[in-house]
Amino acid sequence: MARLAGLFVLLFLGLALFYPLGRILALGVGEGFAQTLANPYYWERYLWSLEYGLLSAFLTLSLALPLAFLFRRQFPLREVFLALSILPFVLPTPVVALGFLALLGPRGLLGVDLYGTKALLLLAAVFYNLGLALRILLPVAVHLAEPMRAARVLGATPFRAFLRVGLPLLLPTLGSAGLLVFLYTFSAFGVPLLLGGPRYATLEVEVYTLLAHRLAFSEASALMLLQILTLSLALLLYRQLQPHPFAPGGLLSPLSWAWTVGLGTFFLLLYAPLWGLLLRTETAALVSAWTSEEFTSLPLALGNSLRFTALALLLALPLGIAYAAAAQKNRLLDLLGLFPLMVSPVAVGLGYLLAYPSFRGSLGLLLTAYALLAYPLLARALLPALKGLPPSLLWAARVLGATPFRAFFRVELPLVFPALRSGLALALAAILGEFGATLVLWRPEWTTLTLAIQERLGRPGEVPFKEALAIAALLALISGLLFYLLDRGRGRWG
Amino acid sequence: MLRAFALAVFLALAFAQEIAVLTHGSFSLDKNLMAQFERETGLRLRFLKGGDAGETLNRAILTKGAPIADVIYGFDNTFLSRALEADILLPYRSPEIRNLKATLLLDPSFRALPVDYGWVSLNHDRAYFKDRPLPKAPADLTRPEYARLLVVQNPATSSPGLSFLMATVARFGEDGYLDFWARLRDGGVRVAKGWSEAYYTHFTLYKGDRPLVVSYTTSPAAEVYYSEGKYQEPPTGNLFPELAFFQVEFVGILKGTKNLEGAKRVVDWLLSKPVQENIPTEMWMYPARRDAALPPVFRFAPEPLGSVRLDPRAMAQNRERWIEEWTKVVLQGQSPEAVRRGRR
Repeated sequence: MARLAGLFVLLFLGLALFYPLGRILALGVGEGFAQTLANPYYWERYLWSLEYGLLSAFLTLSLALPLAFLFRRQFPLREVFLALSILPFVLPTPVVALGFLALLGPRGLLGVDLYGTKALLLLAAVFYNLGLALRILLPVAVHLAEPMRAARVLGATPFRAFLRVGLPLLLPTLGSAGLLVFLYTFSAFGVPLLLGGPRYATLEVEVYTLLAHRLAFSEASALMLLQILTLSLALLLYRQLQPHPFAPGGLLSPLSWAWTVGLGTFFLLLYAPLWGLLLRTETAALVSAWTSEEFTSLPLALGNSLRFTALALLLALPLGIAYAAAAQKNRLLDLLGLFPLMVSPVAVGLGYLLAYPSFRGSLGLLLTAYALLAYPLLARALLPALKGLPPSLLWAARVLGATPFRAFFRVELPLVFPALRSGLALALAAILGEFGATLVLWRPEWTTLTLAIQERLGRPGEVPFKEALAIAALLALISGLLFYLLDRGRGRWG
Repeated sequence: MLRAFALAVFLALAFAQEIAVLTHGSFSLDKNLMAQFERETGLRLRFLKGGDAGETLNRAILTKGAPIADVIYGFDNTFLSRALEADILLPYRSPEIRNLKATLLLDPSFRALPVDYGWVSLNHDRAYFKDRPLPKAPADLTRPEYARLLVVQNPATSSPGLSFLMATVARFGEDGYLDFWARLRDGGVRVAKGWSEAYYTHFTLYKGDRPLVVSYTTSPAAEVYYSEGKYQEPPTGNLFPELAFFQVEFVGILKGTKNLEGAKRVVDWLLSKPVQENIPTEMWMYPARRDAALPPVFRFAPEPLGSVRLDPRAMAQNRERWIEEWTKVVLQGQSPEAVRRGRR
């Protein structure tokens, strides 16, 4: 059974990921590669992408670590805050970018214009990843209490206890959280494209520009190769750092209401871009976007987004389940299956154009890209739950006469259903907000909500900007709502 | 009777064949003209806007084989070679060709037919320069009193930006244009992604902080036309024609169209007199037809004398390199000497 599922995933990966990437590789390794590497401009783009990733990881961790230690304690509304903290992670990038513009752009609510500055890009990265880092650090922070107390009982000073016991236990998790933030920021696309201006274009943005505006396939491929190499290195490091799983520990002594108020203020401020977006959304703009003749009308974009998401999920769901089932037993497949998370959506789109020229402009390519990018998220949520199942349950089913197939679908899957739902929520959010691959593989009549935003942002009059804000607010509400309905803030994924 | 007519119209619309036209983002024509075309031909028009002119063309090239439209309109002479080399267009000798200005027929294979033309040019805000002297020649732009006054478009992502870059190449030559740009860079030139961002966000006329902008020679006339009586005279003006760049926009039939006859009719229609006479006040370009009358407001948009032109072959061969070198000098701050040394 696991072997069959594994074959299915491998076949899909081969066609939808490795073959297209191979084509990029073939193009990039040739003449273009030497030429591109000889160009200092591209190195500058690379160095900036590295810097952006590292700085974001550092900033995010330095905020997430104290937060994690606070969240070890019980206090009112703790669960709500925890649930909310993950919300930005599932918001589509154009939404977040527009939120920041509404707040800190030219003509922003705060009257400070940070458009095209490093500060704004870093803020956006922290906004995106803080909840993620917090979720990863929290179990360890909770778990640390016990050994630290033991060290103290054995006579260590608090400082020494932290240095000799706490830190070594914390480091692998800190490293893996940091690497994860690095991975996401290093290959960021939407935020730098919409907020960075030409100076702060990441490698990913540069690849897109090379392709869409200049059709420079070989240079784009060479840059892509550079990016994939870097990400693979980071991924290998990430696997090395895989910390031991910590059993959920009990919470420590409660904190007072004062802390709740303080944390509440913190989250209010952290979410300021979202408030900015909602505050500046006008009903009139929503109406004009709905009936727009100048741009893609809202009903068309909304219909496309929902239709494509549903169709792509039909493919992502069996893939995710098959991968989770197979990866449980096969470490190599586990690693290979993670690849789509690390490869940039723009690269995937580019690879498809190169590998399947006769399918250029067909919806199948776009849906395949969506499924490819979404299924690992689904599977990552499912995997820990599957691993946590006592094997005796399965044996019992088998002894009672169930085929492996039947045992999996009738016993295992229902038991991990909550985790599956969380994973589905994550996959759904990822597809709804997908930007990079959509931009590369797009046909005008397929304009989705994210592209409808981008289309309007390209023409910075007052009306298109307001319409873009309104669409972004709508998209934020839809993603947030769907995510909440499916996940209910449980967030059993990681 | 009325009901029968409505039914007939409905049926005609339901069975009408659709013709998709891929255009750049600033495409616009009178709705009545389109409705009339649809009535007369039984075809239904659908316009797909693909962003900037270059981006639109690339979109068509990337979907070669399964074209996303039947007709493409709006790629200009700076991109003509790319469109022809990519082999995405079908030749079509439209009967209207004999009515077009001969100087615009740049493609002898008749795959790209000229629809309109114009000049990319520097505009200035008259109110800002009321008590200040205007720059008299292109080289003046690099003088300290004109520092931080100019906004241009990134030639990598914008076709007026590319045209302006080419104008500087034509004006200052291969050896000099990078020095000119390096001085502009040191003077704090601002780079916008596209024309509308430059014009509507950074230009002082629209509450920006830059009184000099790369735009079109027709922009001052457009300001008067749209002001609804507020302006009798244009609030903006054109600067020296030595940096005005001649631009022709083309239409072509995409290879793989499922409706060749319909596509031909669309091309003929775009070159017909009524559409040609509508183009000036809709897209602010000059009509390609010899016999098309210009609207009165075009008295504010005289054709610039002494504007620059580049050989299409030179543009085709060097376009990528110019954009790359420009990027190195202006966005990345490299020295012109280093970039020139890198050529060899």
